[in-house]
Formats: sequence, C-alpha cells, structure tokens
Amino acid sequence: MRALTVASRTSERQAPSRLHSGMAAAVLLACCALLLVAAPIAVARTSHPGHSQQGGDPSQTPPVAAPAAPAPVTAPVPAPVPVAPQPTQAEGGGRHGAGRESPAGSPRQRHAGARQQAAAQATTTAGQGTAAADQSTSSQPQVATEQGPGTSSASPDSALGSQTTRKEERERRNKEARERHKEETTRRKEAKKGGHTGESGQPGEEGSSSPEQVAEDTQGVSALATPPPSSPVATIASSSSSQVPVAASTPSVAGVSQQAVDGQRTRAARRPRASRAPDRAAKARVLTAAAAALAAPVRTLRTTAHTGPVRGIGGGSRVTKKPTKSSPLVTTITKIVGVVPTPIRILIAALAALALALAVRSRFSAARARRLERQRGQLLEDVGLLQAALLPVAPERLGPVGTSAAYKPADGPGAGGDFYDVFALEDGQLAVIVGDVSGHGRHALPHTALLRFTLRAYLEAGLSPRDAVQTAGAVLDRQLGGQFATVVAATYNPRERLLVYACAGHPAPVVLGARPDAGAIEPVTASSSPPIGVGMRTGIRQTTVSVPGRAQVCFYTDGVTEARVGTELFGAERLRGTLAELGTGASAVAVLDSVVERADAHPDDMAACLLRVEGGEDPPELILEELELDRDSAGSRRTERFLLACGVERDELAEVIHAARAAAGRDGTAVLECNHAQVAPHVTLRREHLRYLHVPQTEVEVSR
Amino acid sequence: MLRQVDTTDRPPAGAARFDIAREDLDERTCVIAVGGDLDLSSAPQLKWMLLDALEEGHGRLVLDLSRATFMDSTALGVMIGVNRSLSLGARLAIAGARHNVLNIFELSGMDGAFAMFGTLEEALAYVRGDAAEDR
Repeated sequence: MRALTVASRTSERQAPSRLHSGMAAAVLLACCALLLVAAPIAVARTSHPGHSQQGGDPSQTPPVAAPAAPAPVTAPVPAPVPVAPQPTQAEGGGRHGAGRESPAGSPRQRHAGARQQAAAQATTTAGQGTAAADQSTSSQPQVATEQGPGTSSASPDSALGSQTTRKEERERRNKEARERHKEETTRRKEAKKGGHTGESGQPGEEGSSSPEQVAEDTQGVSALATPPPSSPVATIASSSSSQVPVAASTPSVAGVSQQAVDGQRTRAARRPRASRAPDRAAKARVLTAAAAALAAPVRTLRTTAHTGPVRGIGGGSRVTKKPTKSSPLVTTITKIVGVVPTPIRILIAALAALALALAVRSRFSAARARRLERQRGQLLEDVGLLQAALLPVAPERLGPVGTSAAYKPADGPGAGGDFYDVFALEDGQLAVIVGDVSGHGRHALPHTALLRFTLRAYLEAGLSPRDAVQTAGAVLDRQLGGQFATVVAATYNPRERLLVYACAGHPAPVVLGARPDAGAIEPVTASSSPPIGVGMRTGIRQTTVSVPGRAQVCFYTDGVTEARVGTELFGAERLRGTLAELGTGASAVAVLDSVVERADAHPDDMAACLLRVEGGEDPPELILEELELDRDSAGSRRTERFLLACGVERDELAEVIHAARAAAGRDGTAVLECNHAQVAPHVTLRREHLRYLHVPQTEVEVSR
Repeated sequence: MLRQVDTTDRPPAGAARFDIAREDLDERTCVIAVGGDLDLSSAPQLKWMLLDALEEGHGRLVLDLSRATFMDSTALGVMIGVNRSLSLGARLAIAGARHNVLNIFELSGMDGAFAMFGTLEEALAYVRGDAAEDR
C-alpha cells in the first residue's frame, strides 16, 4: 500500500514535467516545421543569385582584402586628373555607342593602338562606374590594388608623352603590360585557388566582371545598363554594407582599364554567365544586399557620402573582411533568414522563446520532483522510525510464554490510534498493554505514546494492572485534549500461572484453553471501568484468571471485533473461533490476517497481542473478579448487575450490598471480590488501602 | 488493505440503514431519534444533530435509541463528548436502548456515565427534572 502510494504520487508529480518537456518538444518541432517551410522559399528565391555568389562569397574575398591597403595611396592621385573628363563623354559614348564597335575619341586610345579596345573599355567602365557605381564599388579595391602602381604611372604617361616618345613609350608599356600580365595571372591563380575573384555576395561581384564584360562585347554594357531600375536598392544596400562610395569608383577606373586588358582572356570564361542573366544578377544583388543588411550591422549612407575615396576604399576593404570569417553554412542560414518574412520570423522567435521557457520549466519541475521524492523517502523513513518506536516489535518469547503482536492501521502508513506493548517485568512476570485512543491516524499519535509509556512505567514500578490503570486515569484524564482512550493492562506470572488484567472501557482479552469447547470463559462485563479521559473514575475492575493448562490469551482492540462481516460485526465469538482454528501455532499477525480475510471491511485500526501459555489439558479457571466501590456506587444498580453476573443469588444481594455500602461509607472505598470458579461463588469484601501516586479526585480518601 | 480500499468505494454497510430525526417538543426539550447503525459513517450526523440542538437552546435532550440496531465505539465517543460538553442545567438522557447497544455501554464502562432509561417517557421525565436518575 505504501509502495503503491509512493508510486502513484511520483507519477503524478512527474507528469507536469513530462508535459512541459513534451510541449517544449512540440514547440521546437513547430519551429523546425516553420523553418522547413521557410527554407525552400528562401532557397527558391536565392537559388539563382546563390549560384553566382556562393563561390565568390567566402573565397574570393581574401585576395581582395589583403592587397586593399596600398590602393588608397595610388588610386586617388592620378585618376581624377586624366579620367575625370572622360566619364561624361565615355558615359555617353559608352551608352550610345554600345551597339557599335566604338573607338572612343580619347587621345590616349589612339596611341594605344592595339589596346584601343582596352582603352574604350576603360572609359566605358569609367562611365559606367559612375553610372552604376554600386556594381563597380566592391570591385574597386581589388582592381585598384592590383593595378594601382601600374595605372599611376601609365595614366600620366598616356596623357603626356603622346607625340615625342611614342615608340619608346609603347615598348615600355608593352613591357610593363607583360610584367603586369604575369603578376596578374599569378595572382589570379592564387585567387582561384581560394575561389574566384570578386566580391563576397556583394553586388560588386557583378561589378567586377562588368568592366571586362563591357570591353568584350556591347551586350555587357547593356547588361550593366539595364540594372538601373533595381540599382538604387542595390546601391543603398551595397553602400550600407560595404561603405564603398560612388566616388571611389572613379580613381580606380584607370586601373581597371589596364586590368581589363590584361585579365581579359583569363576572365573570359566567367563573363557570359553574368551577361546572360543580368536580371537574375540584379535580383541576387537585392537579395544578398538585404541579407547582408540583416546580417551585418547597418552602416548609414551618411558616412559613405562624407568620406572620401580613400576612406571609402578602406571601408570597403574592412567590410569585405567580415564575410571571410563566416562559413558557408552560416552564409546559407543568413540568406535563409534574410528571406523569411518578418511575421514568420517573429513567430519563430516567439516559438523558440516558448520552447526555451518550457524546456527550462520542465527541467525545474523535474528537479523539483526528484527533490520531493527524496524528501518523501526521508519522511517515510522517519515515520517508519517513529512507528517502530510506538509499535515495538514484540519478543517472540518471554520466559515460558510465546508472545506476538500485530497492528493493522485502517488507512495509510504509520501508526494510528491503537497501541500495544509486550515486555518483561523484573520479577519474572511479563506485562501486556493494548489500547486505543479515540480518533485515528497521526493526530492520535502523541496520546498513544503518552498512554503507553505512562502505563508501562506504572507496571514496571510494581503496580497491579488495576492500580496502574487507575493511577494513569487519574493522571492523564485532562491530558488527552478532549479525547479518551480505552486500555487493557495485564501481567502474567509464569510461576503461579496467573493472568491478571484490568480494563478501562476496553474489551477483555479472549482466554482460550486447550479445549475451547470445555473452557470457554465469559468475562463479566457488568460495571466495567470507563475509559481514561472521560472525567470518570476508572480502574475499578480487575480480573484474575488461573491458567493451569495450555492456553491462548488474545488482547485486541475493538477494531477487530467491529470489523464487518456482511451486515454483522466480526465479534468476539468469531475471534474465539479464529483462535481455535489457528491452534497452538497462532500468532497475532495470523489472527489479524485471518480477520482481514474473513471480514468485508475493517474501518478502524486493529491491534492484537497474543500470549501462548504452554501446559497440559487443564482448562483455565476464572478465579476472581474485583470491583472497587465508593460511597456512591456501592448501592447502585451497577453493583447489583455485577454481583448477578458473578453468579450471586438474588436473595444474597441485599446482604452483600449492605455490607459493601457500610464498608465504603466507612473507608471511602471497598473492594468486592467474587470468585466464581467454584459452583457457588464466594464473595469477599475487603478494605482497600490504595497508595495513590497522584490523587486529583477528592472523594477518594486514604484509609485511616 | 486492498479490501479496505475496495470498500471505500461503496457506501459503508451502515450508511444505507441509518436515519436520524429530531422532534422539538417545546422550546427547551427535544427528542432525537436514531434508526439503524450508529457507526463510523453515521456518528458525525449524530454529533452535529446533538450539537445543533444544544446550540439552539434545547437543554433537555433525549436520545431515542429504540430503533438503533448497532452502536460502535465512535458513536459512543460522540455521546461521551456531547455529555461532557453539557452546560449547567442541561441534561441528556438515553432512552430505549436495545440489548446489544446496552452491551456497548456496559462493556465500555459508560453505562454509569449516561442517564439511561427503558422508555421515552422515563427519559423525558428525567430531563424535565421530574424523575430521579435511573442508574
């Protein structure tokens, strides 16, 4: 029962924690589901730009970032001077003459001869760089740094030495170009090792290819010219993320021209891709820009506007470092996150928070359940210890008498209102106490303990059972807090084979001889002692039984006899039958088990103590019934009933009662002893000299 | 133990066969009649019936047990408690208890604690102060 209770309560307590973890799991699942729903959308929306960007994102940046440092030094100085006038012209030419094989009208290009195309490309790029700044912005650092030193020397040359040293110049430039080319190719190779050149997920990647593309075919220009509808967005996004200003494109254009020539062939493979899908590229720029804007802290356009080209390039290089650290997974997630609509993102965040809260709560409640379980185990252990203290383990044998005791509470673990004790006295006798405090369960515990130890102390002090009960009744009458208790105290003297017991509102023990049919003794219940704690004088009755032969003496509480069998009570008669059935091997536990088995219900606590007296076939003899009288009770009907129950003839009653009243009137108390073991009961009246340990009731007078 | 748990689900044996009624004879006298089993389940009803009557100023209480078939120690405890809580001048008498109920009083030694009468008339006469207590 106890174990069952523990188990059930445990499961009850653990249920909420399981619920919480279940809820947390459900919420997490919901989050995952939402992400799964959102991810395909994101992938679908980013698939095209992702194709062109993914390679470039993490890998292309390193070469850009590293050489970006020298760029600011070289780029600003020469570029504005020669190229600055051209953009306007080139822009117009670039755009209008996009369809033609346009040899632009710049003097430099005429001298360049074979590199006219490259020059045209440069100018076009310059124009375009201003027009669609965003596309070239992020590519500028790379281009500028790669070609920086070359352009710084080349552009002034082309502007100045046009007529005098044209040949020398041409040769020198060829040489330089070859060297650059070599450098360029090696760098490209290095760059390709890490991926492709270009910018990481920035629209600038398209920009980096755009100048070359323009030089290669006019379609490229148109491709780059088409983005304008989307370019504002891209501009904002790219500038906000990379901080490269529009102006920054201008100085680097000079370098671009050179680079365009040199890296023309090497990059040829990549061009068509970008040119084929300009719209996609534009879209990709928007998306990636949005993603970058979400992923990175937003930088305002203000800084871009105010900072010069130098700063701009520096800023660009700074920003491009960032994606370098992020892994493809992070980038992908960033992209997905970027595409997820805001409401869904809020929903996911809320769900995630909920899941987290539930998980935390489940963890807490699980810990609490464990703690409570520990405490409960501890408490049960304590209760068990207390119960063991209140319900002692009876010794199996005390001298020649076999003893046993058992207890069955009506509900729950622990001791209730019933109590018992079996112990040896100093003079070789043994003592038994069985009692029942009104009320049940734990509330009765303090009183049961008080009563048991009080009675035990009096018995061990040498008082007879009646004296012990009477004294305890006088002492404890007001200490039971309105409750009352029934008790039976008994001693057994093995030498004289005498059992003495005194009851206070308690059923008398069943004394069963070797032959139950022969020696059934009906206890005299008339004029019984009232319970302890009802404000009445108790301990007025005592019974002495001689047990010459084998016998069983069963002390019990009324929970046993008040167990229900159908609509009837279990009763003392059934208890006698049970004892007879169990025979000599009976124990208190067996008796109670048998009662439980035979009864339909036992609503009260049950306790039993069993003494097994060895011996022959002689039946027990009821020797003596004692009744203590006082002045009030001596002449009462109760005394009459007592005498009649003891077998005193009616015609003798008047005489006996008259003597008793006289004795009680004289001494305050008198004791009627009625030995009805014989056929003719023998009644004696003796003066009682009780030595009270405590006399709260004034009507009791100590005899003279 | 399991048996006991099972039986708690159905009404206890005595519960179905218990009834209690109160009749106020005058402003101070009232008779409470109990039928059936007075046990663990019905004892609380008896307790509150008695206490309510006392609270309402009925100082002359007669408990008619002539139809009571059984009484256990819990019901006895209720009567003991009420008997002890009687204020000065208030009286409680028990009338018409049958043999087995009388046995409980006798066995517990409480037959001397209550004013017990064979008939309702005797009990009423006692609580009204007309008759001597029948001990």
